[in-house]
Amino acid sequence: MSNLMVDKVATLWPEMVMLAGAVACLMTGLSSQASRRRTVVWIAAATLVIAGIIAAAGTAQATSGVGLAGMAKFIKVAVAAVGLLLLMLNTSSTSQEGVALMRDTPELGGEFFAFFLCSLTGVMLTAGADDLVWLFLALELTSLPTYVMVAMGRQKLEARESAVKYFFLGAMSAALFLYGFALLYGAAGSTQLADIHQYALDNPHDGLLMFGLVLAVVGICFKIAAVPMHFYAADVYQGAASPVTAFLAFVPKSAGFLALLLMLGIVGWPLPQPIAWLIAAIAVATMTVGNVLGLVQSNVKRVLAYSSIAHSGYMLLGVLIGPPGSAPGSGNSATSAIGNGVAAVLFYLLAYGFSTIAAFAVLACLRVENDEAQTYNDLAGLMQRRPALAAVMVVAALSLLGLPPMVGFLGKIYLFGSALTQGYVVLVVIAVLNSAISAGYYLPIAASCIFSKPMRDVQTIEAPGRQAGAVLAAILAVVLGFGGGKLVSSANDAGRVVKQKHADKVSQVDQEKQFTSQ
Amino acid sequence: MLTLADSQFSAYAAVGLLVLMAAGFGIFNLIASTLIGPRRRGKVKEMVYESGMNPVGDARRRFNVRFYVVAMTFLLFDVEIVFLYPWAVNFASLGPPEGDQLSLMFLLRMGFFVLTSVVAFVYAWGKGVFRYD
Amino acid sequence: MAVETLKFLPWIPLLGAVLCAICCTSPALRRLAGAICVLSVASALALALGVYFGPQSQAALSGTTVHALRWIDVHSFSAGFSYYIDGLTMIMLFVVTGIGALIALYATGYMKGDRGYARFFFGVCLFIFAMTTLVMADSLVLLYLGWEGVGLCSYLLIGYYYDKPFAVEAAKKAFIVNRIGDLGFALGIFLTWTTFDTVSLHEAIEKARHILEHGGEITTAMQCIPFLLMAGAFGKSAQFPLYVWLPDAMAGPTPVSALIHAATMVTSGVFMIARLIPIFELSTYALPVVAIIGTFTALLAATIALTNNDLKGVFAYSTVSQLGYMFLGVGVLSTTGGIFHLFTHAFFKALLFLTAGSVMHALAGQLDIRTMGGLRKRMPVTCWLMFAGCLALAGVPPFSGFVSKDMILHDALARGLHGEPLFFVLAIAGLFTALLTAYYTFRLWFRVFMGPERFEMGEEHGHDEHAAHDEHASGGHGPHEMPWWPMNLPLVVLAIGAIAAGILAEYVGGEHGWMHTMIEHSTASVEHEFHGELFGLSLHSVMVVLSLLIAALGIGTAAYLHWLRRDAAGVLEQKFAPLVKLLVNKYYVDELYDLAIVRPLRGCGKFFNLIDDYLIQGFLVQIVGGWGPRLVGYVLKPSQSGRLQSYGVGMAVGVVIVMVILIFKLTGN
Repeated sequence: MSNLMVDKVATLWPEMVMLAGAVACLMTGLSSQASRRRTVVWIAAATLVIAGIIAAAGTAQATSGVGLAGMAKFIKVAVAAVGLLLLMLNTSSTSQEGVALMRDTPELGGEFFAFFLCSLTGVMLTAGADDLVWLFLALELTSLPTYVMVAMGRQKLEARESAVKYFFLGAMSAALFLYGFALLYGAAGSTQLADIHQYALDNPHDGLLMFGLVLAVVGICFKIAAVPMHFYAADVYQGAASPVTAFLAFVPKSAGFLALLLMLGIVGWPLPQPIAWLIAAIAVATMTVGNVLGLVQSNVKRVLAYSSIAHSGYMLLGVLIGPPGSAPGSGNSATSAIGNGVAAVLFYLLAYGFSTIAAFAVLACLRVENDEAQTYNDLAGLMQRRPALAAVMVVAALSLLGLPPMVGFLGKIYLFGSALTQGYVVLVVIAVLNSAISAGYYLPIAASCIFSKPMRDVQTIEAPGRQAGAVLAAILAVVLGFGGGKLVSSANDAGRVVKQKHADKVSQVDQEKQFTSQ
Repeated sequence: MLTLADSQFSAYAAVGLLVLMAAGFGIFNLIASTLIGPRRRGKVKEMVYESGMNPVGDARRRFNVRFYVVAMTFLLFDVEIVFLYPWAVNFASLGPPEGDQLSLMFLLRMGFFVLTSVVAFVYAWGKGVFRYD
Repeated sequence: MAVETLKFLPWIPLLGAVLCAICCTSPALRRLAGAICVLSVASALALALGVYFGPQSQAALSGTTVHALRWIDVHSFSAGFSYYIDGLTMIMLFVVTGIGALIALYATGYMKGDRGYARFFFGVCLFIFAMTTLVMADSLVLLYLGWEGVGLCSYLLIGYYYDKPFAVEAAKKAFIVNRIGDLGFALGIFLTWTTFDTVSLHEAIEKARHILEHGGEITTAMQCIPFLLMAGAFGKSAQFPLYVWLPDAMAGPTPVSALIHAATMVTSGVFMIARLIPIFELSTYALPVVAIIGTFTALLAATIALTNNDLKGVFAYSTVSQLGYMFLGVGVLSTTGGIFHLFTHAFFKALLFLTAGSVMHALAGQLDIRTMGGLRKRMPVTCWLMFAGCLALAGVPPFSGFVSKDMILHDALARGLHGEPLFFVLAIAGLFTALLTAYYTFRLWFRVFMGPERFEMGEEHGHDEHAAHDEHASGGHGPHEMPWWPMNLPLVVLAIGAIAAGILAEYVGGEHGWMHTMIEHSTASVEHEFHGELFGLSLHSVMVVLSLLIAALGIGTAAYLHWLRRDAAGVLEQKFAPLVKLLVNKYYVDELYDLAIVRPLRGCGKFFNLIDDYLIQGFLVQIVGGWGPRLVGYVLKPSQSGRLQSYGVGMAVGVVIVMVILIFKLTGN
């Protein structure tokens, strides 16, 4: 037992480094010298780099039973990398002039970056979770800092309002999935995911377990902004500062999807009928609600919030499909990335992440009348004023829409292609129709950047980190569109480990089903 | 027929006894002091008890936000000490730390836990929470 | 250098393109674009040479697959940036980057002071990227990407002078005509995938070879593939009936004509057929059709060139004609000959175009050869450089054009003599075309450089660079020689190639010459050997004699009519007036296309536009696509009230609904 514990701690080095970095940020932020306080950003950056390297060098986590063990390494490295990008966006203006111009981007203190690192640590911990308590703590570690970050990121009443909304609704969702966890524990008598999985295999028709599972899933839907827990997204995304919004769009969402995969791993793929039906219904409702609400918006930040909802809907398809080899007649698909729903979700998370980060980064770089750029009118004619930022925005919009050669296209190919190979034709048709609808708001974003005449006096913020982050995200969105194959294959490998862990047990389920049907 | 000791409640008997004793102690003291104690009325005597301070103004006024921060910091350590007790009780039964990896682990974990509190404390200090000026 | 390093080759010009694009943004940086372009293309060449002379050259010549990037993996369909390197690839790389670097160097002088200087070099860099991708591609999808990429660059560069309506029209024409061919090409790729179950070039070729060597069912689909691919090749390489875009494409700057529309891009059709020759061999009729179309185009274009009075126009038609020879070459299974001619043609045609560019430059855009004469005194270097190019084009032994053309005609004739009369006819037609070629080539040269001196300046007075040049030009009036650096020096290199490349590649390096060695182990290699005898002499000797006679006859006629007795040419023109009129109007092919295709299509377009406006836009897009989702959006919008309580209630209601459904589902089962 003691060795097991030591092993488990050994896989947590990246997280420990992240926490140490968070503490270092916190302490450095206390300094009375402004120059020393400014090093906080560099400390955070160094922490992410070190944690990323350790995660990349580490071996895959060995766990007993279910869990995203195989994916943990992939996810930790990805989180560290995207974290660096987000960090670039969240560096504030350093020049005196910039500070005077942009009153609502305060010099962010050590607390902000400590929270930033804590939240990312939460995602990493989620990836390695094998226990309900661990999972709950990891999810809350992801979410709690974000509430504060929303409030801190912007010196406006709006931000406070959205922070409070976010906190209360977040607490409500946490209560929901905690209740679900409690029921799961009540049903299975253990908090270990592996034990619950075994229990679920032995008692496939346990109502209490199903109830707990669905409550947990619905509660976690808050993290990914899926129907019916999507209400907060638009208000919170609009109220928070754009760099923080970019953070919200990627980090809690990633943790949410990982948690969903863990939860559904309890019953295993192919999902039992009611659960599969539920996920499909949530997916369809989420993508449709997100897209139609996006159509009737004039505020770009809200549009991107609805787009975030819609993309969660697409990704739920991948969750529905699960790891390869889980459906009958998909024997050869294990060799290809297509058909691996988990890999598709992982890749799509990154694809969506880079694209949406690029979009928010552009908004974060612009100022209109001492406020953030938010409306289509603010973006009008950006091509003439700031060609580079406009290009980034166009790339981001087209990637989110899923046009080749941007990375969004590749992500959709894998996601929808996987769903097709598993026979979810109707769902894919709905998803493609939804993508078409989404053109109704992505294209106007691109079009107003390029074709419209400038309408407002737009200024650029003096924060090189943000601009560099915007350009970097856009470049990644294009480069990965071409060279995503490598990433896909590693996502595929990551997704397949789950399957191998499952394989024997899944076949066991099939046998049991046959047995009971006889 | 089951005896009390047979049922699973027997494990909680000690707790129940403790609760009864605590409640009994309080009730006994209150009753005893009413019965035995002398009665002298006076202005100072009937004042609200605030640990020897003179009560000023209404109790429902707004407090300085520092009070809450200090209170929370206090709570933090309070809870930590509550955790420390059972740990200390069990630690003794695990044997000496050297030679036994499990107890070393046990020690390290509590060390980490205390460390987190210390970090919070240092942060609060550095932020000027305990400065009253 | 290891073969693996070749995977970086296409990205160097792409980097150059990015840098040039950055240079476009600022006038201060603009001047750097030329140097960036030349450097990036030259370093690509250096890389190719490094691999060729490196320790792994054997691997590079015998066929290696190099994986650079994975792109799309969907089930069995896998398309990525993987490159196939063999002798053929190396030859094409040398041509593309070598000729490309020389032309880019020339262009730094030619385009100097033009306001689109950086844009021009951006296009050139991008073109080299696409072209190297095309020749290196292992996956047909990647090949198609390069194919479309060069088409795009061609479109951009033909339309470089976008303020001239003619240039814009020409760019559009080139793009549209190419689309027709590309449709066939794309269908060919799809069919390849469905029949051979792979889009990897070497795998498909291996499968085709296997069928050819070991027998096996050749399905109808397999026989269709070559014809579909052929359509793409004919479009890109300007063969009948899709050749009409190439002469118009001369509206672009002359270095573009030299690089894209003479030396490299237009030859990619030939390259593609050579590369996929085993697939073409699957059909009995495919290669003869290629040969027939090639020969016919060669003859047709040569006759049009006879009376053309446009300096670049003559060379454009001659390019179409020479491409016809190359198709004849691959069509008679003489892939070595076809690629050889591609190789030598790149040198001498680039040289001819660039010298023509120099003349045009000196005369401020004047292109009508009827207004020129005796320019040899004013532009002696250009005159003799073009002379070298003309000798090569006219096929005078031992210049390079002769050696390669001779190989094609020899192989055709040899097959003709071995009981395939079709090829005999084609060879004779080829020889006749050679006569016409010699005539029109020297007609142009004598007209421009010989006889009494005369010239009329063109209308391009706006060129800034003229002010710069006129400073060192004597007198400042009239045509003047180009400076050695950076313009004439690259031409000298090309001229050396035009003179000697053929002989060197035929007789030096390897048992059967360098060219043969390079092709031998490539996908283009064929096992046929052609020998023949005519009149008791070896066919080779006969060909040398014949070529000399033909060249002498053509050049002699040209010298008589266009140098010594120019009035006789006028008389002759009068005599054959209807024929001349037919030729000058290029057989009215453009008009025919306009009448038969363009106008009916335009009518259809108008009709469909109406449908689109009213039915699609009006009903489907506006109402079904636009209003529907929007309406739902407006219905849902109140749910986003911003009130925390409503959100909480909404979430709670949602959870309750989910739970109720779950209970029904659970109890229902």
